[in-house]
Amino acid sequence: MESTQVVIIGGGATGAGILWDLSLRGIPSVLLEQGDIANGATGRCHGLLHSGGRYVVKDPEAARACAVENRIIKAIAPHCVEDIGGLFIHCAQDDPAFFEQWWRAAEAAGIPSNRLSAEEARALEPNLATNILGAFTSEDAHVDVFRLVLANLEAAVRRGGQFHTYSKVKSIQLDGGRVREVHYCDTRTGEEHDIACEFVINAAGAWAETVAELAGAVLPVVSDKGSLLVLNHRLSNRVINRCRKPSDADILVPAGPVCILGTSSIRVPSPEGLSASPEEINQLLHQGDEMIPGLADTRVLRIFCGARPLYVPPATHASGSREISRSFALFDHETRDGIGGFVSIVGGKLTTYRMMAATACDCVAKKLSVHEECTTDKVLLHPAIDRKAHKRAIHVLPLPVAEKIECRLGPEADQVIKEIALRPELAEIVCECELVTRAELEYVLGNSTLVPTQTIADVGRRTRLGFGPCQGTFCGYKAMLAGFQTHRWTATQAANEFSAYLQERWKGQAMVQRGKQVEQLDLSHELYGMTSPVAADCGELNGK
Amino acid sequence: MESNHYDVVVVGAGFSGLLAAAASAQQGDKVALVATGPGSFVLGTGWLKAQDIMDSSAPMELGGAIGLFREMTRIAGYPFVGQIQNTHSLPGILGDFQSVALAPEVLWNATPREGASPLVVGIRGLTCFDENFMVERLNEQVLATNSGCKYTARQISFDRDLGIPVTTVRIAKCFDRDPGFRAELTDALQQVASGFDSILVPGVLGLTSTAQQILELEQQVGCPVCETPTLPPSIPGLRLFHHLERYLHTVGVEIYQGFPVEKLEIYDGLCTELRVASPGHALILHGESVVLAAGQSSVSLLGKACTGHDEQMHPLASTGSVMARNLFVAGPLLQSDAGIKGDAMDILMGYRAGNLAAATAVLQLL
Repeated sequence: MESTQVVIIGGGATGAGILWDLSLRGIPSVLLEQGDIANGATGRCHGLLHSGGRYVVKDPEAARACAVENRIIKAIAPHCVEDIGGLFIHCAQDDPAFFEQWWRAAEAAGIPSNRLSAEEARALEPNLATNILGAFTSEDAHVDVFRLVLANLEAAVRRGGQFHTYSKVKSIQLDGGRVREVHYCDTRTGEEHDIACEFVINAAGAWAETVAELAGAVLPVVSDKGSLLVLNHRLSNRVINRCRKPSDADILVPAGPVCILGTSSIRVPSPEGLSASPEEINQLLHQGDEMIPGLADTRVLRIFCGARPLYVPPATHASGSREISRSFALFDHETRDGIGGFVSIVGGKLTTYRMMAATACDCVAKKLSVHEECTTDKVLLHPAIDRKAHKRAIHVLPLPVAEKIECRLGPEADQVIKEIALRPELAEIVCECELVTRAELEYVLGNSTLVPTQTIADVGRRTRLGFGPCQGTFCGYKAMLAGFQTHRWTATQAANEFSAYLQERWKGQAMVQRGKQVEQLDLSHELYGMTSPVAADCGELNGK
Repeated sequence: MESNHYDVVVVGAGFSGLLAAAASAQQGDKVALVATGPGSFVLGTGWLKAQDIMDSSAPMELGGAIGLFREMTRIAGYPFVGQIQNTHSLPGILGDFQSVALAPEVLWNATPREGASPLVVGIRGLTCFDENFMVERLNEQVLATNSGCKYTARQISFDRDLGIPVTTVRIAKCFDRDPGFRAELTDALQQVASGFDSILVPGVLGLTSTAQQILELEQQVGCPVCETPTLPPSIPGLRLFHHLERYLHTVGVEIYQGFPVEKLEIYDGLCTELRVASPGHALILHGESVVLAAGQSSVSLLGKACTGHDEQMHPLASTGSVMARNLFVAGPLLQSDAGIKGDAMDILMGYRAGNLAAATAVLQLL
């Protein structure tokens, strides 16, 4: 039987951060994730590295934590962060008192900001509404969530950490009131496995409640749905926050070639099977249009929904989810429920994932009598690519393509570059929006990377393939053929995999059928939508 | 000024625009077609799907529309075969079988036949097509039918530099322009063809080639050569566009291609002029009737004031009144009310709009 010291459940930012933190302290650990990396709220959020500004009025403590972590993440994972800065804008419709209150609160909390006049703000961001009354600057940034999780996992693997994706925990075995064993199943093959361990850390986000139940504990976590729209262009170059009491559709985050508008906040019974209603979408677009006129008419590529795992402190009698603190809590189930070797970390924000990981790991390290201090705030996650390798890269690839692949693969990029130098045809760009070369696609599919790929969607999370306007219609097909050519899949497996991938891509597009994207979706349906049995002389075939 | 006056001006060169122009021209009208490019043909398969046509609630009219479409392809030298009522299985892009109603022979002949041994030929460097993938998929499906049909894969390559990666457009252009390339292709196909009764290649056999030219290739190779669709840009789609456009030339339709219509002047319930954003000076076109068949661009030309259309295909303002009596919309404003979808609906709607426009143009002259 596989055995380790600590099992971490959940492959979002927090879980990956914990694996990295424990690995740095030399504690052997294994992470189990039921889907692919960043499967839950991590992969379904804005990708906003908060400056703290959003919480400064209501929750100064959370704001201060965000401000500290913002700087740390920028320092330890620069390749994941687009450090674009942000604006908190005062729309004419909003309460001027809140605007002034924000300024005082930011000062009190030590959140750096400058006050801009409406003209100054519009000079920076010309698409802003003409009737805005002013703005504050902030240190908000965009962070590529998939890359951040990958970076944590890769760094951990280099230090001996292990993880299994597509591994769903089925049960947690106790022995004498202590965790002894975790039983999990590979969701793709159905194979079942056990790991013996001394400790389990529950970092399952919106699924934390379910995981806690496996060990017989109860957790006060609620799922709060947030829907986000992906727009075809960068409508701004900075993160645009609406300076008002946090509400729907008041954050716009530019992310690579697109931008993301969100979010709604709706309490849901389960984090699975989320979808957005047309009213919700219209509301988001309408509200966004107040910040950036014309936004409602831009091309919407897709919508996605995530479930925030909110922690409800016992004393809270909150009416709505926005009233619940965005801060996090650590539960030691030994003292709380008498279950030894089991802790849960719940709530929190993407921005504070590292702090959450450190808190959980401090607790576990203490119990395991490991005296290593947390150093995740100081160690660079991703070794920088050396100058020689960079020179090799720009020799065979255009600079933007070379830079993207260096960001995505880090030092591993060099192996891909060497392949391209040997076989120039591998420099072919297979995803034109995100500049993914065939060499990189084959490398990722070939599982030579530290974090293995199972599906075309996994390829997307590693390379951003299929994240642009075609939504995988063209590049997904090429990825499918590459999977077949590299003997990853048989023809039928490849076609089935591609079809599953498209279904998922279509789902997000079908909820927002507007303008040009309707044509794009039609095209995708036309190309791949309907398969029919062989007619007439060849008789019937099964399957549609 | 005088030369820019037409009985009917059609905006858009997708299926509906081309059919509208043809239908109006058939009535003897002076017709202009203005379009930025080849509509959705660049994305299509170059055939008409059976699902698009089934369950039509206007079979007579659809028969007329499809009849005109077939006539256009026949006169242009690229005839479509097949019947509206029958379906035919052709290999699609995922190596599955698509049910097709009408197609040109070069696509039509790719249907699996009992006991046949077709050869699927890939082209080295053409990364958007994989012959081994197609063969593995197609064989799995025909196996279940016990038809004894068995596909085999081969790859051919060319000495000349076709770029990295090789694209379907590059090969198609070479095929059109360079007899030397055609000879090379013929040789290469001849070499792999022995022992097989037909050849399937990705859609690369020319952007302008006629049925006759493809027949000549087949005679030289010694067996039928058929195409299967690829990822866009679709060569069979663009080829179909080329031939439909050629037909319009032969019946005297004037074609302004390359620039968008930027504005419709609507005055007193009539569309009086169309402003085309051509470089240098704006081109102004006048039509007794105007057909808008420009996909989503029709929607933006009409603006937010437009909320739908009436039975005569006139666009309606939010008040429910007709925006312009001589304006007809064929395209996304129209819901599929005839029980058909896709390209077949576009053909029908274009045909209907073209006939309505021609009738209105005549009325206004009286």
